[in-house]
Order: sequence, then structure tokens, then C-alpha cells
Amino acid sequence: MATHPITLTVNGSQRQGQVEPRRLLVHYLRDELGLTGTHIGCETSQCGACTVILNGQAVKSCTVFAVQADGGQVMTIEGLAQDGQLHPIQEGFWEEHGLQCGFCTPGMILSTYDLLLKNPDPSEQEIRHALHGNLCRCTGYQHIVKSVQYAANKMKGAPAVAD
Amino acid sequence: MTAHAVIGKSIARVDGRDKVTGQTRYTGDLRLPGMLWAKPVLSQHARAQITGIDTAAARAIPGVVDVVTAADVLAVAPNAREQMLLAIDRVNFYGQPVAVVLGETEAAAEEGAAAVAVAYEELPAAVETLAAMDTNAPTVKEAPEADDETAGMHATVEGGAEQPKRELPANVSNSVRFERGDVAAGFAAADHIVERTYRTMRVHQSYIEPQSAVAAVDPFGNLQIWSSTQAMFYVRSATARALGRPETEVKATGMPVGGGFGAKFMRLEPLTAALALKTGRPVRLVLDRTDDYLSTTPAPESIIELKTGVTNDGLITAIQARVIMDGGANGGSPMSVACLLLGGYYRTDNLLVEGYEVLTNKPNPGAYRAPGAPQGTFAIESNVAEMAAAVGQDPIEFRLKNCAVEGDPLPNGQPWPSIGLKECLEQLRDHPAYREWRSDGRGEGVGVAIGGWLMGVEPSAATCRLNADGTLTVLLGAQDISGTYTGFTQLAAEAFGMPLDRIKVIAGDSDAAPYAGGAGGSKITYTVGPSVIQAAQDARRQVIEIAADMLEAAAEDLEIADGEVRVKGAPDQKRTIAEIAQSGMRFGGKYKPVTGMGQTATVERAPGFAAHLVRVRVDPETGQTALTGYIAAQDVGFAINPEEVIGQIRGGVAQGIGWAILEGMVYDEEGRLQNPSLLDYALPNAENVPPVETVLVEKPAQWGPFGAKGVGEPPVIPGAAAIANAISAAVGTRVTELPITPERLITAMRNGAGGNGAVR
Repeated sequence: MATHPITLTVNGSQRQGQVEPRRLLVHYLRDELGLTGTHIGCETSQCGACTVILNGQAVKSCTVFAVQADGGQVMTIEGLAQDGQLHPIQEGFWEEHGLQCGFCTPGMILSTYDLLLKNPDPSEQEIRHALHGNLCRCTGYQHIVKSVQYAANKMKGAPAVAD
Repeated sequence: MTAHAVIGKSIARVDGRDKVTGQTRYTGDLRLPGMLWAKPVLSQHARAQITGIDTAAARAIPGVVDVVTAADVLAVAPNAREQMLLAIDRVNFYGQPVAVVLGETEAAAEEGAAAVAVAYEELPAAVETLAAMDTNAPTVKEAPEADDETAGMHATVEGGAEQPKRELPANVSNSVRFERGDVAAGFAAADHIVERTYRTMRVHQSYIEPQSAVAAVDPFGNLQIWSSTQAMFYVRSATARALGRPETEVKATGMPVGGGFGAKFMRLEPLTAALALKTGRPVRLVLDRTDDYLSTTPAPESIIELKTGVTNDGLITAIQARVIMDGGANGGSPMSVACLLLGGYYRTDNLLVEGYEVLTNKPNPGAYRAPGAPQGTFAIESNVAEMAAAVGQDPIEFRLKNCAVEGDPLPNGQPWPSIGLKECLEQLRDHPAYREWRSDGRGEGVGVAIGGWLMGVEPSAATCRLNADGTLTVLLGAQDISGTYTGFTQLAAEAFGMPLDRIKVIAGDSDAAPYAGGAGGSKITYTVGPSVIQAAQDARRQVIEIAADMLEAAAEDLEIADGEVRVKGAPDQKRTIAEIAQSGMRFGGKYKPVTGMGQTATVERAPGFAAHLVRVRVDPETGQTALTGYIAAQDVGFAINPEEVIGQIRGGVAQGIGWAILEGMVYDEEGRLQNPSLLDYALPNAENVPPVETVLVEKPAQWGPFGAKGVGEPPVIPGAAAIANAISAAVGTRVTELPITPERLITAMRNGAGGNGAVR
């Protein structure tokens, strides 16, 4: 099968590759760039484990072709912490018990990133709506909601949520 | 209550940083040099003879390395015949693996699998559970034998006479009968009788990480397996057995599990190992979501006929049930667990519970969080709600009056040990919401249900090593699927008297780790926890002994604080823990390396109970149910890490909501699964799972670590019944079939609820 050259910026570094047109972005990230923090849970864009940020928007990378990301900016879970400092969202998920098995966690965190970019002060309903395309089988979601609230407060400079 | 340094506190998970940064490596993330990608070819029929497998087109695809069928597997693993790693001559369910294509890339393997042409000669299949019980039904297995229940690993069931074989239809593979008293007399003494037939569908564990395994082999045939497993020692033993090899030639490593819920004891490992043996190369087998739904082991469908009698003053006079569970093509349903719980929650002098497992041409059922309990509980707790209503009593008071307490018999005659069932019910009764929430019969409804779990037990050991920097490494053979390593870190820190950040709990592989059973049956904290405590105490004792010798002091005069061992009252007389560790870790050292060991073999179980209070709003036009309030009380013995315990409870509640209103695997008449994807199989999401208030009851377990009981399974048990009871209160129609989808509810409301039973 013919391949296409692509150039994209992933977590701040420029990457070049040759990909088949059928190559999914998630496979490119995992298999060619070794960024295995992006997970595959369903292949039908229901579970959200493969969520990454493409050009400032959360996308499910199992339903984006790598060639569609050509020229774009991608951030995966590996690119969120800066200089060894966890992002407030990561901190929130850790501190507020927003994870158990961890398989959905990178996608949850990046969907949260997308939400807080657009809506820095979401209500609980807005958080639940924004995350309804990310499935978690372990937590029952409530600690995840608290994790998002923790991050929103921290990013506003306010103290973290009390229990 | 004793003050504790670090237990009883909600510390953040020890594996949290890796998980929030994408650094946790799951099985599917492994890449080994020369690794092949595997893609299975699944049966397209529920029952058929395989008349040919044409692999030529697949082999012609660039990148396809091999196409493996049962004959190839049997050549490297003669014992594999009974394991049916791949179908041998005949397929017995739609989705059964028939062949595997191995490719240099995932894409090549997938293309190859699509190109394998399997010729079948279709045979009549037994699909529907009750129809398969008919004596004229196609026989699924020529000579069915009673299989060990998969659930046996989760809750050991003893007692119960087996039904006489000759009287049973050919597809009945297992049966039990529990009896005491005289149910006819019990019903004669009743003022009201509730008689219903309940049905539940197959429900899939639906872990977000699909089943996955990687295997490699050296030139001498030594196998190494990395897999998403809850039970690496089981993987080692069962793989060795399946492949006809000594256990010493199989090394299993349990990788982080991306959700298991009972389904990941062992699934793909023997096949993946056989593929590595066949090719001499590492092999990665990770199912995609559809193949996972088609070929793995969900909770079985059930049909439960239940008749209960009650007097006007609210005493249960008799419980009679017939429990039928679908055993798929090879059996393994938790039928007898359902029987024990259904007949065990309440006191009655007259009991007759019969259980049957029926084979069908569908995948085998497997363990799913509290196997058998949601089904049995849905039945008994629905009947109990109707009995309470029939005699005009408050549903919680009715339960308090009849519920089992310590010493009351289970259906198998064994007495319940200390249980916290009453305490959970009392918590709900006394909760303000119980007075505030009201049913109106016009869409608002409140429901209650209880559920309990017997809990598994298994011996375990733990070791720990004091390191040269004064930190302590605890080595375990138990997999962490629910935060247990965080709790163990707390237990070890508490027992040694060391800060949390000086403790590291690690999982060893099957060559190196001390033994522990599989992470199932809610037993890891309960059974491994005491070993961790002992090991840390043992290490502490050795540290004190060495320090006593060094300081020429009596051991009882020493104390451990701030990373030092000091003589009480003479703080200058001290050695750091690091110095003590180093004294046993150098050339010519005179002290033994500090190495702690703990071992336990508790056979006393500490059953866990939960009681749930639910409020729903049903749209009478659409039949849509929304959960508008949820309170879960649970006896956890002692919460080592309360927020983690609460997280377990809420996760279990969410899965119970799935059972109640969302989840079900749909098979057509030919036995083909109609919804093998997350597009068509509905999981609970952030919008339909409500906030859940948790109430922790702490009735200590005698042998649990600091009194802790298992917490993983009880919270999934009452949900379906509690929600069904709330829906019934909301609309005045009782639905006896799960899940209670809008379609099912509207149909029941139109037909009335008389079709599947009666209250009289």
C-alpha cells in the first residue's frame, strides 16, 4: 500500500513519518512514536480511552486517520506534565481518587482539558455532560467529577474543593 | 478506638502518578523484538462441523507469517485438546476461536484473518436456556460433566445434594438441591404468597482494557507470559497444564489490569503461549472489542422461579425456588452461589431451593463481580418488597424482622458468621432521606434492597526486605486490581512504624513472588493484608534485635521513630534504620539481612453486606428511568483507606445500575450475538450514574487486617433489585426481567404485571 509523508507536532516536538492512508492516528502515536499512554478500548469511538488533543480540540484518535493530523498539533497524555510538574488536572485525578485501573484515565484527563479550556468554571452537570463520551468501569464517576472540580479550582487559583 | 498513624486515612493511590501521566504499561503496550501480532478468526455459527479451513489467501497477504489452527496447536501442546484453545473439528458457539493469523504488523494480521475461509456444515444449535432443557433439544456436549464452577474461586460453596443424573435432561450439566423443613406446610401457614418468575440477561464485565496477553519462548521451550490477569499463579499452572509442560518452564507476569471484574483470571494465555511455541517468536494477542464480546466469558442469563409465603404479622414461612442458569458450551456458571444467597438472606423454617445449569451453544459464562449474586438477589429482594407491601409493613422494618443474623443457617446448613446486615439496614432506616423520599405511583419511586457476599479465602504469603537506604520493599504475588497495594503500603507502614514514602509494595512474577491467590472473591485485602502486616512486624523485630546488639541495650528499651532506633530516654544512643540495614548487606557483615516474612491461611470467612436506598423518576410516557438519589450502606469491617473504599462502592453501584436498566447481551435465534460492541451494548456513563452517598458500617472482621472485610463485590449486588423496587413503586408495575429498559417497562405497564406470577 502506498504511503504518505506526514509532519506533525506531538507534545511540542516535530515528528515526521510515512504512513499508509488507513493508518489511524492512535496507531501512529502508539506504534510509531511509542506513546502508549493513549489507549484503545473499543475502536468505535464510544469509550474515549484514545482521546488526544488535536489542534486544541479533544478527538478520539481511533477515528482520526494519521494523514488527517498532517500539519497539526497533537498533545497526548505524555505531553501534559511540564518540567516534571503535574498539570492541575493530573493532580486532581490523583489527589481526588479519580482513577482506579487507570485505563480510561489519560482519555478522561484530556477530555477534561478540553472542557476546562472552553469552560473554566463548569457545573457538575456540565462536567458530567462533557465526560459522557469517556467510559469508566471502575469509579462510578463521582471521584472523577471531584477531580475535575479540583483542577478547575486550582487553575482559577482558588483553593481545591473541600469534601 | 486506637489511634493509627497511617491506616484509616485516604492517601492517594501509590500507582496514581504513573496512571495520570500515561506511564503505566499495560500488556497491549509491550513491544518485544521480533514480536508477531495475532488476530483470531471466530466461528460464524453457533454449532457446526468444520469441513475445511482454506488459509491460502491469508498466507498470500504480505506480512502474514502464519495461520494457526487447532492441528498446529495440538502438535506443540498435546494437552490442549481438552482446553479447546482453538476449535477442533467442531464449533460450539458463535465467536469460538477457530484459527489465528500471525502477522508482522497488526494490519497484516487483521487482513489475513478476514481472508481465512472456513467451511462449515451447520448443525442444529441449542440457544435459548429453557429450550435447551427440553429433552428433544440438540445435545451441546455428548457427555456433559459437572464442571468446577468458575465462581468457586470467588466464593467457596459447600454442601447441597446433587440431583439424580438420570432424571435430568441431557443438557443439564450441574444441579443442586437445598432443603430444610417442609415448604408445603410453610405455604399452608402463610397468609400471602408471592410467586414470580425472574429473568436476567447475559451481562458482560466490559473492562475498558480488552483481554490481552503476550508470550515469548526461548530456544529450549521456556515460556514467558505477560498478561492482564488477576491471578498469575493460576496462569502459570493452567498454562503449563494446558500445554503439557512442567510449571518450571512457564513464567507468568501479571501486568497492570485495565479492569477485570472476575473475567481476567485466565483467558488468552495458553493460546498465546502455544502460538509462541509454534512460531518460536514472541506473540501479542489483544482482542478488539467485538472479538472480546464474542469470545469471552460474561455473567450468565438466569431464570429464577421464586415462591415465598408470609404471615399477616410479617414472618416469612417458606422460600421455594428453582434457579436455572445458562452454562454456555462448557459450563461454569455460579448457579449454586445464586441458590445459597437467595435462600440465605432471610430466616425461614421451610426452604427448598433447586438449581440447574443448562448447556447451550453460547460462550461459557465466567465470573463477574459477585458471580450469581445480582441474579439471585434481584429475585429474592423483589419478592421481599412485595411481601412487605402485601402485609402493609415498612420494607426496612420487614427486612429487619426477617433477616439472617449470626448463627442462622445458609441453605447448605452452614451458619452465617458475624455479619453486618442489620446494621446496614438500620443506617438506611435512620437516614433522613428515608423519610423525605416518597413514592407517588406517578413516576416517583423509592426502593430498597440488600445484598451480601460470602467472600473468598485462600492462603497467602508476603516477604519484605529492608534496603540499604532504610526503605522497605514488600514483595507480593497478588495482583492489585482495586487499590490493594495502596492499602498494603498503609498496613506495612503502620506495622513497621515507618512513613508511607519509605514503603514500596511490588508485584513479583511467578518465579519470584511468595504465593497469593487470585484477586477475586474480594479476598486480597482480607487474606494478604495480614501477611503484609506480619512481614513488616517480622522485619521490625529483626531491626530491633540488631539495634539491641549494636547498642548493647535490651530490645524492650528500644523504640523506632524518625527513621532511627533509639534507646528510650537516651536519644543519643541510636542507630539509623539505614545503618542497620547496611550492617547486613556488606562484605564481612556480622548481621543477617533484614528479611520479613508473613504467612496466613485463614479459613474463617467474613461475609460482607450492603443495603441500598434508591430514588427514581420514571417518565410514564417513554418508560425512561432516571436515578435521582442513591444511598449505599456497606459493612466494610474497617476502612483502611476510606476514599478508596468509597470508590469501590460507587464503582460497584454503577455496575449494578448497568444490570438494572442498561446492559444485556442479545442473541438471535441462531445464537449470534447482536450487540458485540460499545455502540450497541450500553455501559453506564457519567450522565446516567447519579451521585452516590456512601455510609460505611465498620463491624470488624476477626481475622481481617485491623478488622477490614472485602469490599469489592457487595456493592454490585443490591442495585438491580433496589432499582426494580423503586421503579415498581414509581409506576405501580413490577418488572421481573432485567435490564428494565424503556421498552420493557412500557410493555409491562401496558400488559399489567400478572403475566409472570401473582401475589395472593
